[in-house]
Amino acid sequence: MEHTAADIRFSDVSVTYPNGYTGLKNINLTIPAGEMVGIVGLSGAGKSTLIRTINGLVPITSGSINVGAHQLNGRGGTQLRGKDLRELRSNVGMVFQSFNLAKRTTVLNNVLMGRLYHSPAWRTLLGAWKNDDVELAMAALERVEIVPKAYEKASSLSGGQQQRVAIARTLAQRPQVILADEPVASLDPPTSHVVMRDLQRINAELGITVVVNLHFLDLARRYSDRLIGLRSGEVVFDGAGADADESVFENIYGRSLTAEDVLGNKAEL
Amino acid sequence: MSTSVTSSPQPQPKTQRPTKPRHGAKSLAAVVLLVAITIWAGIGVQVDLPAIAANWRNATTNIIQLLQPDYGFFPKTIPALLETLQMAVIATVIGSALSLPLAFLASRATNPRPKLLAGVRFVMNMIRSVPDILFASILVAVVGVGALSGIMALVLFNVGIIVKLVSESLDGEDAGAQEAALAAGASWPKANRAAMLPQILPSFASQVLYTFELNIRASTVIGLVGAGGLGILIDNVRSFFRYHELSLIILEILVLVLVLESLSAWLRKKLV
Repeated sequence: MEHTAADIRFSDVSVTYPNGYTGLKNINLTIPAGEMVGIVGLSGAGKSTLIRTINGLVPITSGSINVGAHQLNGRGGTQLRGKDLRELRSNVGMVFQSFNLAKRTTVLNNVLMGRLYHSPAWRTLLGAWKNDDVELAMAALERVEIVPKAYEKASSLSGGQQQRVAIARTLAQRPQVILADEPVASLDPPTSHVVMRDLQRINAELGITVVVNLHFLDLARRYSDRLIGLRSGEVVFDGAGADADESVFENIYGRSLTAEDVLGNKAEL
Repeated sequence: MSTSVTSSPQPQPKTQRPTKPRHGAKSLAAVVLLVAITIWAGIGVQVDLPAIAANWRNATTNIIQLLQPDYGFFPKTIPALLETLQMAVIATVIGSALSLPLAFLASRATNPRPKLLAGVRFVMNMIRSVPDILFASILVAVVGVGALSGIMALVLFNVGIIVKLVSESLDGEDAGAQEAALAAGASWPKANRAAMLPQILPSFASQVLYTFELNIRASTVIGLVGAGGLGILIDNVRSFFRYHELSLIILEILVLVLVLESLSAWLRKKLV
């Protein structure tokens, strides 16, 4: 399968959680294939919800989302489920704040999880991976420079290395889109830059769309082509990172900026 | 030294310290209730302490015989001893193999279907609520006297325990990797196999060893109702009042259980 990129289109998307909390309000967005988009906002502004609607981890209440040939609908619409939902997800990689690795198994086994959709059930059950899949996983590890650790336990790696294994896991999917939900929130500043540069390189070299939630404004401005600012579930800014000055951020955050909103000059590489 | 510490002036606390909550009345009520229940239970089963004292003479004769094991009887116990061991091994292997998939069906973390989950849990609770010796008596009636009925009883007993313990460790396991696998397009069974199984394997292995220990003990007891192993031998010598021989069998069980328990405890320590 080739890396044929796919546009992501939000049409009037709203999400209301079962407890009545509004996650997203009437979102209209188009993310063209190959773009690197940073999403900023306070915690609770809907960043995580927005990202998780794209692969159906959070079902939308109304509106619709198109990801390439797939369409996710609100309540009442045709629901994407079973094999169709899994096919969509196999095209969309996801990186999490807390890495989400199976720590007691090897780095390689973790990366191979990106092949689960394509691997037959009996092979998965026996752990008898196809040589092609193993090679694909190794190539993914190569891209994040962790190949020598392929047969080590995931728990023996540092936080930064674990996050790079998680990125390799998404690469093993050969995805069209990578979603990253606060990928550097558990990492120290130098490691954060390494991980962000990995994502940037993947976007530039493989043409994979990258949508990344970030808390730190300087990181968001530095590593994304386009910034989307969310506040209380609504888009309050959408434009180039360079256009986002202090006053824009104050509008997104609803308060003046503090030192905690930037990763900072403490450890610029 | 210490006086200087105690005599140093107490700094005035910045915030008011909360007063310690009092539970005196509740604790007293709980103790009174507990004592009342115990007395009620004792009256109910007619505990007769004087009778124990009166029958003491009968008991001493038996106890003296039990304290003198007949070591010459040992060769005759070997087949039964081996059968007990073999029953425990086979039952542990079969029971564990059946339990692993059932544990995944019995955990909220790995089974997304509420009805199936409730069904599996209900059946497992039923199995666990039946004592092993009752399973053995029923199976002896169905498949006849011997090791087979014993093994079947132990397998049921093992499934009840292992499924309960392993599904609980699945419930408590971090589901992050499973979420990642699902987000990558894996089906639930595949995600469970790839992301959850490696996480609980050490705890599963530990439960299997623990169950093996239980099986050694249980396989002697279920033999009393005819389900094979040392239990049948115990039943024989006991009904002919051969307490010297009974004593040797008890000693053998004691040694076997102690040796295997320490072996399995050592192995389990290595696992964690």
